[in-house]
This record gives sequence, structure tokens and C-alpha cells, in this order.
Amino acid sequence: MPTPLILTPEQTAFLQGPLSMNVGAVGRDGWPCVCRAQGVVVARDRRSLTVLLSASRGRAVLEALDTGSAITLVVSRPATHATLQLKATRAVRVGVSTAHRTTSARCVAAFAGELETLGYAAELKTTLASVLPTDDLVALRFVPEIVFDQTPGPDAGRVLART
Amino acid sequence: MNIALESLRPCLDGAVPAVVATASPDGTPNVAYASQVHYVDPEHVALSFQFFSKTRENVLAHPYAQVQVIEPKSFRHFRLKLHYLRTETSGPLFEYMKAQLAGIATRTGMAKVFALRGADVYRVLDIENVDPRLLPAPAPPDALLKLRGTLDHLGACDDLAQLADRALAALARGFGIRHALLAMLDESGGALYTLASLGYPASGVGAEVALGEGLIGVAAREAIPVRINHHTGDYTYHAALHVADPASPRIPLPVLAHPHSQIAVPLMHGARLVGVLYAESEQNAFFSHADEDALVVYGRHLGALVVQLAALPDDAEPVRAAPAPRPSGAPLAVRYFAHDHSVFIDNDYLIKGVAGSILWTLLNEHAASGRRDFCNRELRRDPRLPLPDFGDNLETRLILLQRRLAERCPQIALAKTGRGRFRLELARPLLLNTA
Repeated sequence: MPTPLILTPEQTAFLQGPLSMNVGAVGRDGWPCVCRAQGVVVARDRRSLTVLLSASRGRAVLEALDTGSAITLVVSRPATHATLQLKATRAVRVGVSTAHRTTSARCVAAFAGELETLGYAAELKTTLASVLPTDDLVALRFVPEIVFDQTPGPDAGRVLART
Repeated sequence: MNIALESLRPCLDGAVPAVVATASPDGTPNVAYASQVHYVDPEHVALSFQFFSKTRENVLAHPYAQVQVIEPKSFRHFRLKLHYLRTETSGPLFEYMKAQLAGIATRTGMAKVFALRGADVYRVLDIENVDPRLLPAPAPPDALLKLRGTLDHLGACDDLAQLADRALAALARGFGIRHALLAMLDESGGALYTLASLGYPASGVGAEVALGEGLIGVAAREAIPVRINHHTGDYTYHAALHVADPASPRIPLPVLAHPHSQIAVPLMHGARLVGVLYAESEQNAFFSHADEDALVVYGRHLGALVVQLAALPDDAEPVRAAPAPRPSGAPLAVRYFAHDHSVFIDNDYLIKGVAGSILWTLLNEHAASGRRDFCNRELRRDPRLPLPDFGDNLETRLILLQRRLAERCPQIALAKTGRGRFRLELARPLLLNTA
């Protein structure tokens, strides 16, 4: 049995920062698809995480995952470009809680706040809240099997941890 | 496709990073940030290939990708289904993306990290608006209207000097451009020289740019427009180096030290490059895609006008010479260096190349015969001048010479006396000697 991957405290802290997040999957027809995610929750044991995305905006990704696609989550901090990619062979839908909605709203606001410090207009907070509402959230839980450093540069793609 | 790719051009300027999803042959997804998704034509985009990444490995094995781009201001997301076709590692598309990437890299603090290895060209198969509920970003000012206003201000021009000045002044009125210059291709085809400028403390008239050097040189070498919408720290894309080589006299280009937006468009007459129009701004994202389109049209219009005005015949009637006022005062020492045709006045560099050679010829002719009136036709035939067979650069060289003299040595002047005719006017006696 493979040794389970446990996210480091640093990775866990990073995943709770102001991040741009995207989830990718591959449809049954072989087409890759992507959707912006709007929140992530790391489990207490740091072995699994739950990523939140909009059902309507992420229809293709959700369909692909429902039919057995592997999942990838890419998270990047706009101010530093520090980027992680986490992959797993499957993800499962879990019920969306009030805590998830709160997390999503917090993550979107933090992301907007970070962009504002980089010179984007202050209205972005409102704009992003309307682009990424919490009313049709879907929660996907997965157990990362491999984590890559995806920070742009020649080292992008370096494996940081795997099962 | 329900959505035209052209309508997405504001999303394709690198203002908001795009992401690209690919699949490996075993079906594992990969998502990565794309520095640049470049509009190629209504059916194609190109992605910058900077590193040998998983994305690249995937598309080479399984040539399908989805890219998600974002409209600045509205933050509407669009997803494009792409089919990878080829990678270009040289040529106009590559050079344009390389220049633009320099701007994106500096803006994102990645100047030392980003270098373009290739332009990966994809066919766009489908476009999905992810946020149909959201209103689009407000439309930018109409570039066609700006172009029309510019042409109205340009009006009819009778000669090249007038055209050079009005061409830039009209840009200020039409596009709100405050800093611009016009550089003409020289006889060798290997360099451009500044004929006129707008909005700089020093005119920079006569300043040269080698083909391929800086944004102006790249636009000229490739005969393409190049637009950078952000400040770039990559010196290659500064309009030109500011440090003059002390070993070779060089007039510095008058450009801004830290432009935040730059555009260079070729002046074309048919397939022939005549020069480059360069404009810049202290604001980020000053030039839109549509502005680029409009300025390309303007560049073609100016290119045709330059050729047309240069081809007009000289006035036939000789102009009667007025009695020459006798130059007075201490003589000016004029020194000529034959190897590069450079002319120094009292040890100060004035001009070199064809313009230097013209001045030296005129001054010698005047010293020998006392003549003051000249015409372009005789210069075109003069074996002492290094002019090519097609001599329509002569007129622009004379304008350049006239302007350099006015700026640096007003005691020597070339006064226009008719089309293709001019008079040498001297306020001081001259001492001519060759090095």
C-alpha cells in the first residue's frame, strides 16, 4: 500500500492564502477542461482537501469528474507567482455546508484584495463576488497523490511530494 | 463558433493571466498558467513556449487544449477549445510575441525568467462564454473614429517636411498620443534615421536605429506592428540604447526612459518598407488592439504619401539668386571625415552619412564657385554623393540636414526656394578641411 501523502504545514498555509485557483479534468472524449475554483479547505489530517466551484461555470469539469476523470488543482498567489499543482486519480462530490459558502466568500475576497494591492481597480472585489457567487457551489473532495511546484520558471513541474 | 475570436482581443493582451488545460496520453489533466495567449487571426491563437513543460509535452502527444482567458475590467471568463498545429521559432509572429512577452515579463516581475523559445500556434475550434449573465466591459474609444480624426488633421500635404510634422501632430489630435517619432529607412536598408519627433525635450532628428534594434528596429526588420502594453525592463525592447558610443558620433533617440506602452508600426508602400512610426505613453495599456489596427492603416497611408511626395518633379524654373549678404564674424571650422561622411562644426558633431556628404558637397561647391542655389536633380546625378539609383530618400535626407542645421548650427541654413530647390545661406564665413 502506498504511503499516504501528507501536505506540509507550509503547503497547508499556502492553500489558505489569497489564491487564484483552477480545477482541471479530462472528459470522456479526451478533451481537457478547466474551471476557476473559488475556495479550498484542507482536512485536519492534511491528507485530503475539498475544493469549491460553481456548478454552472464548471459543468464540463464536473461531468468529466463524475465519469471518472482524474483531477488537478492549480493554485497560484498573484503577488509572488508561487504556484502549486495537486493531482489525484479521482474526486468525489460532498455536500456543501454553510462553512463551505463562508470559505468561498472569504477566498474570493482575499483573492480580490490581493489583486487590488497589485494595482487592479478596487471595484474588482464586487466584480469577482458577482463572477464567483456562492449560490451554486459544488464541493469536491480528493486525496492528493502528487504535488508539483508550478511556480513559473525552469523548475516548474518539480515534484514536491507523492504517495 | 458563436463568438468571434476578434471580440476577445481585449482578453488576449496579457493583462490577466490565462490558464491552459491539457491531457497526457493516459488521461491525466494538467493545468498551467500561460503568460501569453496571442491573437493571430480570426481562427488562430498562439501561446508562448518558454519552458519544456508538462503542457508542451502533453500537446505534442495529444494536440488538444482548453485555454481560459479573462476580460479585464468585467472579469468575464471565456474558454477556448484549441487544436495545436505547429511551433514557430522565428519570423514575424515569433518576434511580435517575443517583444510583447518582454512587456508582460517585466510587469509581472518575471523579466529574468521569461524568454520565448517558440510561438505555439493553435486553431480555435470553439469559444464558450462562461459568464453570459455578466455585462461586457465598456467598449474602448472607437479607433476608426480616432483614425478619421487623425486623417482630417493631417489634411493635404505639399511636401515631405510638412508631412513629417503634420503626421505626428495629427496623432496627438486623433489618438491623444503625446510622444512619437518618425524614422525613415536609409539607403542601405540596414538602419533607420529619425526625421521628426513629437513631445520630447530634444528632437532627436538624425538619431539612428539599426534594423532589428529595439522595438523600432524589430518592427522595421519584420515589417510588422509591435505593441507592448506594459513597461519593459528588457533593454532589447527599449526604443534604443540611450548611451551613445563615444567612438562613433551618435544622436540619441529622444524617447521616454520608462515608457509604459509602446507601439511601432511600419510605414509601407505596397510591400516596400519606407520607415517606422513609433509612439509611446507613460500610461499602461494605452494602445488597444484596435488602435494598433488603425495605426497600421495610418502607417500604410503615410508610406504611400511619402513615396508620392518624393516622386513629384522638381520645379522647372530656375530661381533667380538674390544678392548674397556677406557672411561676417569668426569663421566656422567645418571638418569632414570621408570614411563615414561625418561633418563636425567647430569640433561638434553635426551629421554623417548621406546628409553629411550632401552638406560637404554643397559647401565645397559654394566655396569654389560662389553658387548658393541648388536643385535636387543635380544632387541625384552627382557622383560624389553615395545615393542609390532610386533616390527618393534624397528629399528626406535634405529635410534631416535642414533640421539638424537649424538645431545645431543655424549659421548655415538650407532655405527652400521651390519644389526640389533650395538655397545655401551662410551667416558666418567657413573654413573647410578634411580629416
